[in-house]
Amino acid sequence: MSDPFRKAEMAVWDAITSLKLTIACLAALMVLVVACTLAQVNLGTLAAVSTYMRSPFVWWQVPQSTVSIPVFPGGALVGMVLAVNLLAAQLKRLELSWKKAGLWIVHAGLILLVAGEFVTSLYQVDDRLAIEEGQTANFVESAREAELSVVDTTDAAVDDVYGIPTTRLARGGDVPIAGTPLTIRVRRFLPNAAVSRGGAPSGATMGVGASVSVQALPVSTVDDIPNEPAAVIEPMAGGRSYGAWLVSPLLGAPQSFVHEGRTYVLSLRQRREYLPYAITLKKFRHDVYPGTDIPKNFSSLVHISNPGRSEERDVLIYMNQPLRYEGKTFYQASFGKNDTLSVLQVVANPGWLLPYISCVLVTGGLLVHFAVSLRRGMRRTDEAAAVPAALEA
Amino acid sequence: MKLERLVPWFVGILALIGASVTLLPPGKVRGFDVAAFGHLPVLEGGRVKPIDSVGRNALLVIRGQQSFRHEDRTVGPDEWLLDLMFRPDLAAQEPAFVINDPDVLGLLGVPLSSNRYYPFSLLAPHVEELQRQATAAEPIDARQRTRFQSAVLNLYERMQLYWRLSNTVQIAAGPPLVADIANAANPQWKPRQDALAQWASFRPLAPPAGTVGDAGWHSVGEALRRASTGSTEPGLVSWAKIGLAWAAQDAANFDRAVGDLRAASAAARPDASAQAAHEWIFNRAQPFYAGMVIYVLALLLVFASWAWKPALLRPAAFALLVAGTVVHTAGLVSRVILQGRPPVTNLYSSAVFVGWAVVVLGVILERIYRKGFGTAVAAATGFATLIVAHHLASDGDTMEMMRAVLDSNFWLGTHVVTITIGYAGTFLAGALAIGWTFREQLARRLDPATSKAIVAMTYGIICFALFFSFLGTVLGGIWADQSWGRFWGWDPKENGALLIVLWNAIILHARWGGYVKERGIMAMAIFGNVITSLSWFGVNMLGVGLHSYGFMDKAFWALSAFVATQLALMALALAPRRFWSAARPAAAEAGPVERAGDPVRPSRA
Repeated sequence: MSDPFRKAEMAVWDAITSLKLTIACLAALMVLVVACTLAQVNLGTLAAVSTYMRSPFVWWQVPQSTVSIPVFPGGALVGMVLAVNLLAAQLKRLELSWKKAGLWIVHAGLILLVAGEFVTSLYQVDDRLAIEEGQTANFVESAREAELSVVDTTDAAVDDVYGIPTTRLARGGDVPIAGTPLTIRVRRFLPNAAVSRGGAPSGATMGVGASVSVQALPVSTVDDIPNEPAAVIEPMAGGRSYGAWLVSPLLGAPQSFVHEGRTYVLSLRQRREYLPYAITLKKFRHDVYPGTDIPKNFSSLVHISNPGRSEERDVLIYMNQPLRYEGKTFYQASFGKNDTLSVLQVVANPGWLLPYISCVLVTGGLLVHFAVSLRRGMRRTDEAAAVPAALEA
Repeated sequence: MKLERLVPWFVGILALIGASVTLLPPGKVRGFDVAAFGHLPVLEGGRVKPIDSVGRNALLVIRGQQSFRHEDRTVGPDEWLLDLMFRPDLAAQEPAFVINDPDVLGLLGVPLSSNRYYPFSLLAPHVEELQRQATAAEPIDARQRTRFQSAVLNLYERMQLYWRLSNTVQIAAGPPLVADIANAANPQWKPRQDALAQWASFRPLAPPAGTVGDAGWHSVGEALRRASTGSTEPGLVSWAKIGLAWAAQDAANFDRAVGDLRAASAAARPDASAQAAHEWIFNRAQPFYAGMVIYVLALLLVFASWAWKPALLRPAAFALLVAGTVVHTAGLVSRVILQGRPPVTNLYSSAVFVGWAVVVLGVILERIYRKGFGTAVAAATGFATLIVAHHLASDGDTMEMMRAVLDSNFWLGTHVVTITIGYAGTFLAGALAIGWTFREQLARRLDPATSKAIVAMTYGIICFALFFSFLGTVLGGIWADQSWGRFWGWDPKENGALLIVLWNAIILHARWGGYVKERGIMAMAIFGNVITSLSWFGVNMLGVGLHSYGFMDKAFWALSAFVATQLALMALALAPRRFWSAARPAAAEAGPVERAGDPVRPSRA
């Protein structure tokens, strides 16, 4: 191994493990956090977070062009570098000793915290369950993502449901549906649209879509304004086309066609995930403090029916008291329809426990470290205090 | 020598006596036992409180003060409320409204003058115009409103509160409550009952004996409806008598009716009466105001001690600080008991708590280092935070009920308290750094040992602040996971807390790496004040996110000014010493660290 090569290697190693890199990363993170916070006023939280925090770079689009250039490291990159720096520095600098035990624990906890945020950004799924009193639901819906659902309703007892996510529709082309003879040809897809009567025809030849027009709208990134996608699709089976259909959550009734004696219902709706159990809302309560409109409590009394585990039980879900069940967590999120509709937020996050562990580790580690330092510091202060005392005497 | 030791005790106890003078029973107002009236328990804003609190908070909202001068005497909140309810024509002449906005004054046809306080009678002829302007301003987003729109809407809301208060016990225009009771069963009087039920700003009629909870409190309108079916609540008659006696200015009958009503509600609901009595004492004692005064005195005494008789005055100043802390603690504990909640439930109480935590830490620091420096910094910060709290209190009741998502004593007691201690720690470090800066730049004689001690204090406090702000932030994440389903959502308030953690971590790492020395650490600690103030108040001004319960926009300029002063102080901290003092050219170049190690400084011996 040549000497300069070794030198370069050492320089890189020094850089990766340097405290300056740690400080630079923390400072960059502060800049990102400030930018992300301010951007939320105009962009909304989701867009601000994906621009500044969840991407490796912050991009700046050159005005009047389609060229974007990275102007600042994004949260994902900074977090990654910080984690590597932490690990490497830990291996290089901090010796294994009781004196440093606290710092070891702290940094292990911090790495876990960063890891938890990565797991969350990659795997967390947010859904909703809107359910009226007395109703039963066996699926949860995405709040932001839609899907084209094709439901075989031939059998009165069981529906076969097939879903195509809008991300697939956006790519266009032919989409074969496994398990059926159908192929869906995507003629047109709008991520956000308005539907109106009159105007340019939508391009649909069948159903209600043939008599309406659709206009593309800019994609909404603000959290409380949802996108209403629309698509013109052409189901094909057995070598023949069943015409072009307009689908959108804005259209009221689902539309259907029959192929070889089987009825298929088409609709573009919020993406659904079916559950192996059913949830019934027995009672929703919205309490206020007497003489005011200040909400005191929201709670949903639900019944879980899970034939797979032969489980039948009631659960009360209320503020700060979610239901954790089979990898999903159900939270009281909202309500409506004169207090008869309850909206539960349903979150699946395989990394949900990591921050809890991290919290314990970092807190414990800091306590150990400061206790050790304080004891050392006290000893030094005692010695130092002895000198002026002697002088004053 | 012996006498000198007694001086701090004497000063401290004198301060405590001064603070508790307010607890002596007040005299009658013009012969009326207004204090007894102030004790009456009522239900307002979802909780039981003395009617004194209703009057105080209303006057605070409407006038910005808890009492006012009128016709050469001071009118207190209870007397004002009595006038408002039972002598509305007289109350309309009292200067209860503060109006600052020149455009609103122009709308009312009032020329600009030094007078800022106006009676309701001035507003009454313009009610329709004010309503028109307010209705136009209301749908506009709070951040988009012009100054005039905000001001006119605010005035209109205060007029509504005023009007509802005057129509709670009896209808301001027309016959008194006695007539309504006599005609309760008469269908022609029913619209008046409905009006009283609808407009009531509080519920004055206690639930019957043996009940629990607050659902049984009735407005006068509801009680009249029940009276129409034959069951007249005894409290209703007492209220009618109180009204008649006050209107006729008949002190004997007033005192008797108030006494009857107090006895009756104490018999029916002793819990509510005890609660109201406790809060009445709290209102009267104004512990945070007393604490503020004592902190100022402590600060002045420390300053004096640096110039004159330090051995005598420094312990006396410390005694004052301790006395202030005792009063401050008493107020804080009182609030905790009254609310049945942990100490921090809203922005107001967070300011009170930040001040308290800083002062307690300051007392500990002063016990360790005994330089007078801890006293000065703690007293100054305690005073400043109580001033901030005072201004945050102008929205009315500071013990309002907690909204559903916040209704969790466990999380309020863990996350909220911890994060607030983190704020307090960061502010204390910043305050120590500011004190250090002044000392370094202005003191005529350098004392390296003290300088080093202050740096050590600041470092220790930054560690403390990092610990609590980190723990508080993560606990907040865990609460969010429990209530909103995600640990971290990059919500503005969460980001603000994260910034404090990151900044304290940067200071500590920069120090451990040796990249900054004394000066740098101190300048960074001052910047901690900027970050903490922005994450405490600044993010609430963005008006986005889930923590919107603390929304505020009024303090924007105050916050900007604070940030500007902190930046100026950072520059001062970083400025070389020779800029300021020609006396010691040699000291300028040598860093304080080296000087501290210099054994040849026997000047104090």
